[in-house]
Amino acid sequence: MKIVTRVLLGIGVVLVAMPLALLVPARVLPAADHLEPALRVNQAFITTPDRAADIADIYAWHTDTKLIIIVTFAGPQSITLPATYDRDVLYGVHIGTGVPKSDATQNIYFRFGADTSNGAPRHGIEVTGVPGVTGAITGPVETTLQKDGVLVRAGLFDDPFFFDSAGLGMSRTSGTLMFDRNRDFFGGQNLTAVIIEIPRDRISNGSNPVAIWSTGARFGGLLR
Amino acid sequence: MTAAFARHARFALLLATGLALAACNSSGGDAPPRTTVTASAPDPVATAATTSYDVLPCFFQTVPGTGGTTVSGLVIPDVLTLKFGSPAGFPNGRRLQDPVPDITLAAIFLDLTRHSPGVLAALPLNPPANDRPFRPDFPYLALPQGTPPIADATGRTFAFRTDPVSAYVRVDRMGMPAVPTVLIAQSRRPAYNDANPSDDAKGNFVGELAEELRILTNALADDFIARGLTPCAKPA
Repeated sequence: MKIVTRVLLGIGVVLVAMPLALLVPARVLPAADHLEPALRVNQAFITTPDRAADIADIYAWHTDTKLIIIVTFAGPQSITLPATYDRDVLYGVHIGTGVPKSDATQNIYFRFGADTSNGAPRHGIEVTGVPGVTGAITGPVETTLQKDGVLVRAGLFDDPFFFDSAGLGMSRTSGTLMFDRNRDFFGGQNLTAVIIEIPRDRISNGSNPVAIWSTGARFGGLLR
Repeated sequence: MTAAFARHARFALLLATGLALAACNSSGGDAPPRTTVTASAPDPVATAATTSYDVLPCFFQTVPGTGGTTVSGLVIPDVLTLKFGSPAGFPNGRRLQDPVPDITLAAIFLDLTRHSPGVLAALPLNPPANDRPFRPDFPYLALPQGTPPIADATGRTFAFRTDPVSAYVRVDRMGMPAVPTVLIAQSRRPAYNDANPSDDAKGNFVGELAEELRILTNALADDFIARGLTPCAKPA
């Protein structure tokens, strides 16, 4: 195999993180954690993809006073589509502040429900397990909710991930390296996200590092 | 023995075991049944290269600016790690604007005593920023593109499930970006996503991480070298 082809194939897996990239059209290529695990959430691989439970990305960063956590899911998708609020999916944000950090010391969960009292469902979010918050944070989506010093919002947003995965497919077919810094596969696409902002001192445990990860789970079992 | 040395020694043992098992399996030899490290078909990447690399040095190298954290410490367990006493920015947490793929690539492929973790992002290989500016304040994410239908926000009494966590079945997990998608073979990703960081920490996937990195390194190392970059892996 020509070296340029080898390189392109290798870079493909590394940069776009797209398994079986050679077999599927570019529009469904996974990246970061979008559309992974493909055997459960990617329509190119299965007929019953669980889009709602597909975590696209998790972001977490701190300021002097706050910890911000963003979980994105059910994307990327066309800009014509609405957000995804699936009542049967439970999302987890797990935080480890002890030793070892891999053991969760705090578990935040959020899920969606609907108000059907006035015809079409109007969706809401319930967030539980937030440190320093008494009970659940509950309210409508597309609304900034505030309780006990914590901010929460669920809604439809621009997909924040940026990467040229389309260029990879072109590189593969052309045999010429065609990554383009001006071409963003995730540009012009949306997804659903939940943002949680927490006072930092509710998470800190001395100088221990803080580990954060997310999960998506389906009520009653995997989609078949 | 310091705690750090003990962790390195344990990782080396796990890694050596995993690599040995992987090597046995790939050679078709009389490999013992794999327990914690399961044989898996690697993603289609590249044909065999003429040079085979030892990727162990890549896992043990320290990532500059992290206070002594090694690459293995970044990817195992598969979590985002934040040190509140240090400035935010990947790999100290993950901000929206961080060029994560290029930094990750540099960390796992390049000699970080010679190159900055940001060397590939500086080329750059990928778009350097999102196509929409992020907002400086809550909720930070950019508004949705186009004019999609936005959910009615007037609901007040919602019917949520009240089932316990145990009633749900894991579909996906995510921590450190690119770990499962880059370094875990496709066929093993369901099992990987079913596992927890505590399983990662036990070394359950160490052999696979190393094997996938070895395959990719064997394919890519000559190209990094051709671009004037020094791989962290050494010829075996």
